[in-house]
Amino acid sequence: MASTRDIRRRIKSVKNTRQITKAMELVAASKMKKAQQAALAGRPYAQLMADMLAALSSRVNEAHHPFLVSREVKTRGILLVTTDKGLCGPLNANLFKLVTEIKTPVKYFSVGRKGAQFLARTKRDLVADFQVQDRAPFAEVKVAVEFMVKQYLEGVIDTIEVIYPRFKNTLVQEPLVRPVLPLNNVKGFIAALHADTGTVRDTRHDDRQMLFEPGAPQVLEALIPFYVNRYVYQLVLSARASEHSARMVAMKTAKDNATKLLGELTLEYNKARQAAITQEILEIAAASFAA
Amino acid sequence: MSLTLEIVTPEARVYADTIDTVVIPTVDGEIGILPGHIPLLTQVEHGELRVTKGNQTSWLAVGNGFAQVEGDKVSILAERAITEEKIDEAAVEAALKRAEADLKEGANLDPNEQEHLMGIMRFASTQLAVKRRRR
Repeated sequence: MASTRDIRRRIKSVKNTRQITKAMELVAASKMKKAQQAALAGRPYAQLMADMLAALSSRVNEAHHPFLVSREVKTRGILLVTTDKGLCGPLNANLFKLVTEIKTPVKYFSVGRKGAQFLARTKRDLVADFQVQDRAPFAEVKVAVEFMVKQYLEGVIDTIEVIYPRFKNTLVQEPLVRPVLPLNNVKGFIAALHADTGTVRDTRHDDRQMLFEPGAPQVLEALIPFYVNRYVYQLVLSARASEHSARMVAMKTAKDNATKLLGELTLEYNKARQAAITQEILEIAAASFAA
Repeated sequence: MSLTLEIVTPEARVYADTIDTVVIPTVDGEIGILPGHIPLLTQVEHGELRVTKGNQTSWLAVGNGFAQVEGDKVSILAERAITEEKIDEAAVEAALKRAEADLKEGANLDPNEQEHLMGIMRFASTQLAVKRRRR
């Protein structure tokens, strides 16, 4: 049996751990609330945008726009959205699993330090690593997206996809590969988006000729880049909500484990102490008998 | 017959109501929408948006974005939007001053940041214009 001093030392260290994880849980919980709100608030916006795109794409000849035409895929472009910090359960590991399953040539772009480290460590083709602050300002995400779009237009990459943890609820985050460009299947994509958020697309259909101001090509030209930026931004927000949820859950588990361990250790300590006292009494008694 | 109007920004759904008419500021000037309008998709320019319901007229300040009319449903997707009642004149003026100062001292800010500040300034002046219209 371990000595009482050893047990006491362990109890102290477990207590410290519990305090730290408890604090981290509280911090993550408050950040989670904000991040979830941001992710949910952006949904109607993303949906409306998708609806507009659907209305537009069904009415204009989309054969010419480079964002709408699919071409032969030689190199995929993938944006990996991970966290900057660890201690968030299996969140990043699940994303990395998705990455390792990809066997075709890929150029990677990364948001989040963990993802960049992973890509560098496994010697994958990491083109650029973007820093995005925790509250995820739109301008910082936009820089990353615009860089990718430029590469896409130059033909360096033939698709733009995003790997991110989709926020389902506080307990469930689902690692996903989301295609962003080319937008060659707008209808399927919009159906998926609506199924995702549990909304129904407005079925009131109006198939009269649509009027575009100032003109269909101009509107398309303005709407698509705008849409790509906003859509990826929405994915990043979702990833942030996932991060804080996962961290909160991981920290709660850690805290609960620490509490349990503490109970066991305290019991063991008391037993050891009691055994030591009994031993001492026996020794004294035996000594006095012998005398 | 009436229209349903919905204004959505990245932060929230700012406005949703059934209305009679709406005048939207677009890149080509203002466009007035009445019930029965043919389907329309247009680019919204920051400016003042006018809504009439019964014999009441209300004003909103909107930022850049897009507007869609389809089957008597007007949807507006704007970077920013605020209803007249919610505009806080003092706060807006302070924001305007702050953005101006930031812009002045940061001549070598990166273009994204500059654009962002310009957007804030434009929207702030639109808000002030909406608020002061009544006087």
